[in-house]
Parts: sequence; C-alpha cells; structure tokens
Amino acid sequence: MSERAAAVEIHGVSRHFRTPEGGLYQALADIQLSVRAGSFVSLVGPSGCGKSTLLNIIAGLLAADRGRVEIFGRPLSGINRRAAYMFQQDALLPWKTVTENIALGLELRGVVAGEARARAAEWIERVGLRHFGGSYPFQLSGGMRKRAAMAQVFITDPDILLMDEPFGALDVHTRQRMETEALALWSGTSKTVIFVTHDLEEAIALSDEVVILSAGPGSHVIGRHAIPLARPRNLIDIRTDADFAEIYRALWSSLRQEVLRTRV
Amino acid sequence: MSRRKVLACRILVGAVLIGLWQSGAALGVLDRFFFSRPSDIVGRVWELFARGGVWTHLGVTLAEALLSFAIGGLAGVLGGFLLARRPLLSAVLDPYIRVANSLPRVVLAPIFLLWFGLGIWSKVALGVTVVFFIVFFNTYQGVKDVDPVLLDNVRMLGANERQLTRHVLIPSALGWIFSSLQISLGFAIIAVVVGEYLGSSSGIGYMIAQAEGVFDTTGVFAGMAILAVFVLAAGALMARLERWLLRWKPGPRAGGFVD
Ligand SMILES: Nc1ncnc2c1ncn2[C@@H]1O[C@H](COP(=O)(O)OP(=O)(O)O)[C@@H](O)[C@H]1O
Ligand SMILES: [Mg+2]
Repeated sequence: MSERAAAVEIHGVSRHFRTPEGGLYQALADIQLSVRAGSFVSLVGPSGCGKSTLLNIIAGLLAADRGRVEIFGRPLSGINRRAAYMFQQDALLPWKTVTENIALGLELRGVVAGEARARAAEWIERVGLRHFGGSYPFQLSGGMRKRAAMAQVFITDPDILLMDEPFGALDVHTRQRMETEALALWSGTSKTVIFVTHDLEEAIALSDEVVILSAGPGSHVIGRHAIPLARPRNLIDIRTDADFAEIYRALWSSLRQEVLRTRV
Repeated sequence: MSRRKVLACRILVGAVLIGLWQSGAALGVLDRFFFSRPSDIVGRVWELFARGGVWTHLGVTLAEALLSFAIGGLAGVLGGFLLARRPLLSAVLDPYIRVANSLPRVVLAPIFLLWFGLGIWSKVALGVTVVFFIVFFNTYQGVKDVDPVLLDNVRMLGANERQLTRHVLIPSALGWIFSSLQISLGFAIIAVVVGEYLGSSSGIGYMIAQAEGVFDTTGVFAGMAILAVFVLAAGALMARLERWLLRWKPGPRAGGFVD
C-alpha cells in the first residue's frame, strides 16, 4: 500500500440515536472525510455535535447507519485493528498498576509477560512516570493518568491514533506540556492522528489540517483547512505567532456560527 | 473517631449489656429458667469444649456451611455472569428467578428433608438456595455496572470476549461479588443451622434443638454463642481476603461485618 493512500476514508456516513423520550436524534448526516496517512488532523465542532460518535465509528466501536468507512483502502467491519484510541474519560483499568495497564495491549496480543513488562518499563520512562510503575491509577494525578494512557496506546505501535479531547480535563499548563509530549511522540513516526477537540486554538497548534463539523442535528463537514505552520512547533509561543492569529481568525469565523447555533 | 476508641466503645456496650443481664438474673428480675445467666452460659460453653462433644457438631455445621457457600457461590457467580451477558435469556428468566427468590426458605426445609434425607445434603441444599440468590443478584449487578469506557478501551487494545471477561468484567464485578460473599457466608451458616434444627442428628442446630427439648435455656444460649463467634470469625476472614483482593480501590471499602 502506498504512503500516499488515505489512512481513513469516510463516505456518506450517517448515524442517529434513540432519545430517552422515544424520538430519533440524527447525530451525523452524510459525513465525507479523507485523512491522509501520516498526517495530524483535528476534528473541531461545538459540544454535542457528534465528534465522539464519528471517532467511535472510525474505531469500529459503533456502526454507521449508512455510508462506508475505509481504513487504508479496506472496508472497516468490526473493531479497527490498525487504530488505538485515547478516550476523553479515564480509561485505565483501576485494578491494574501503571505497568500492568501499559503492558496490557501487548499482553492481549500474546507477547510473553516478561517482554511486555520490559517494554512497558521503557514506555514508563518515556512518558516520565519513573517510580510510578507499581502505583494504581487512583494514586496518580490527572496529568499522570493521561501520561499512562498515552503510553498505553502508543506501546502497541498503531498506524492510526484516535484521540478524543484527551487533555480536555487538565489545567492549562499541564495541558500544554501534554500536547508538547504528544507531538514529540508522534513526530518522526508515520502514524496518522485524528484528534478531537472543541478548542480551535489547540486544533490549529497541533494539526496539519483542521476539519470543522457543523452543529447538530445532522452534523456534517463544513470546512477543511490546511495549517501551513512549520514543524517542529513550539506550543508555548505559537499562539502569539502572527500566522497563527490569521489562521485562527479565518477558521473562527466559520466555527463561530456553529457554536452560536448550538442550543445549550 | 479513632479505631481504638470505636473498639473500646464496642467492648463497653457489650460489657454493659452482659452486666445488666447478669445482675438482672442475680436480683431475680430475670427468671433464670427463661433467661439463664451469662456466667452459666460461659461455663456451659467451656464445658462443651472441654468434654469435646461439641467438636463433631461444629465440624458438621462448618462442613455444611462451606459446602453450601461453595456450591451456591459458584453457581451464583456463573449464573450472574451468564445472564448479565445474555440480555434475552435474562429477560425470559427474570420472572422465574423472582418467584424462586421470594419463596420463604423455611418452607423448603421439610421438602429438602424428604428429597435429600436427614444427613448433611438437605442442609446444604437449604444453604445453597440462600447463598445462590445473594451472590447471583450481586454478580449480575456488578457485571451490568461495569464502566463501558473500560470495555471499549480494552476492546481497542485488542481483547477478545474471553480476555474482556478476565481483564474487565471479573475484576469490575469483584467488589460486588465480595460484599455478597461476606453476607452470604453468614446466611449460609444460619440456613444450615435452621435445617439442622428442623431435622437432623448432628450439628449446632441439632444441639440447640436438643437443649430446647428439655427446656435447657443455658444450652440453647450456649449453642447460640458458639454460632455467633463462628459467624463473626468467618466474616473477619472474608473481610481480610476482600481487602487484599480489592487493594486497588481507594478509600474505605463498602459492606462487610468486621474490619
Ligand atoms: N449512545 C447514545 N445514545 C443516545 N444519544 C447519544 C449517544 N451517543 C451520543 N448521543 C447523542 O449524539 C450527539 C452527539 O454526541 P457526541 O458524539 O458525544 O458529541 P461530541 O463528542 O461532539 O460532544 C449528542 O446529542 C448526544 O446526546
Ligand atoms: Mg465527545
């Protein structure tokens, strides 16, 4: 398969949910999207527009009502085996230590325990959790749990990384450090990242391309914007960069209407 | 309050109650024929253990309780898992399980006597009907209660159904299962003693029934005291095991008799 192929292709995907009142809510309507292999793409849209739903469909955790999803040219059915998923909520297993959590992906693939542990130990170092391998998740801070979650998804060396507002719950400074580390882990790999956020600044700072989704119901892609900022990027200062400000203004004008349209 | 203070107060409450009982009997407020006396009861318990006759009874009751605990617990865990993972089966069986659970167990005792005879198995059967439902409902709830994000995460990490059960469902349900095991061990002992009381030739329940037959109140209380110590000790053992198995949980654990 050539490197230029799309990692993810989405053709006319729709999805509805049954509401508690018994009605139908059309979350996604006719989504068209193509994500180039090796790129970092952000999905931005107002809260509740269907970003997580779309990511779940790409992950194979949720089925679309209509439309097709292709992963590296092959139609997706069942769990997407080439993707790893970093969830919005805490998803570390509370009954496993940090080491056990990070080693889990390897263990499930049949890597022998000794080797899985050794590789988990390397990842513990890489995400800065030395001395915490034996701790349980409840003993870690929010930022440390995110580090462990990052190691948990990276250790299986996935081709596609799905990240759903992974740093949304963190304070500003921790968040910026985590973003920097996530970019460092990704750069130099050929991994494709699909990063969901409702924060336009975060999306621009991290991505090669920002995809804007409309407000629901019936959310669809209303804009795709290449972000021509040079890499490597310094996330601490990039927000004061003149090019950044210009891109931000252009994208905000299209996102703004969608945010205003969202009934809260 | 500190643990030590709580313990001291607990002992104080017990001492006051026993003291009132003892002095009530001494002053003649409590008729010794109907109420016996703590000192007599302690003496009787001592005598029973010294003479050694009680050991066989204790052994029989213990064996019955452990058997019903093991059989009922295992069946409850398996049944709970099965129905939690098979919504259709669970929907079909739901009314039958409710009806079965609503039967008073004492009514079943004579039937089990007919079916399984006077030996230990009629008592084990009675114990199983108690343990099974407690463990079953808790396991079912525990499996249903699992965080769907954890399931999704482990699925994405590559787990098949069997691995999902091992790494997520069982550990997640374990908290619920354990609190039910502690309670059901106590109930198992009570159920088999009731079974013994209603018809048998050995066990603590039989001992109590014998004492009652000759209006030996001291004997009845002595049997009850032995039983109480026995239930508390079993509960404490379970609590220790639970604490070790659930060491990943923050804060104090829910449920349980003794800490
Ligand atoms: N399992 C579900 N059942 C019912 N409604 C759902 C379900 N998942 C999502 N929805 C609805 O679909 C819409 C999109 O949800 P989501 O994808 O979580 O939005 P976002 O991630 O963009 O905030 C919301 O209105 C939400 O209430
Ligand atoms: Mg979301």
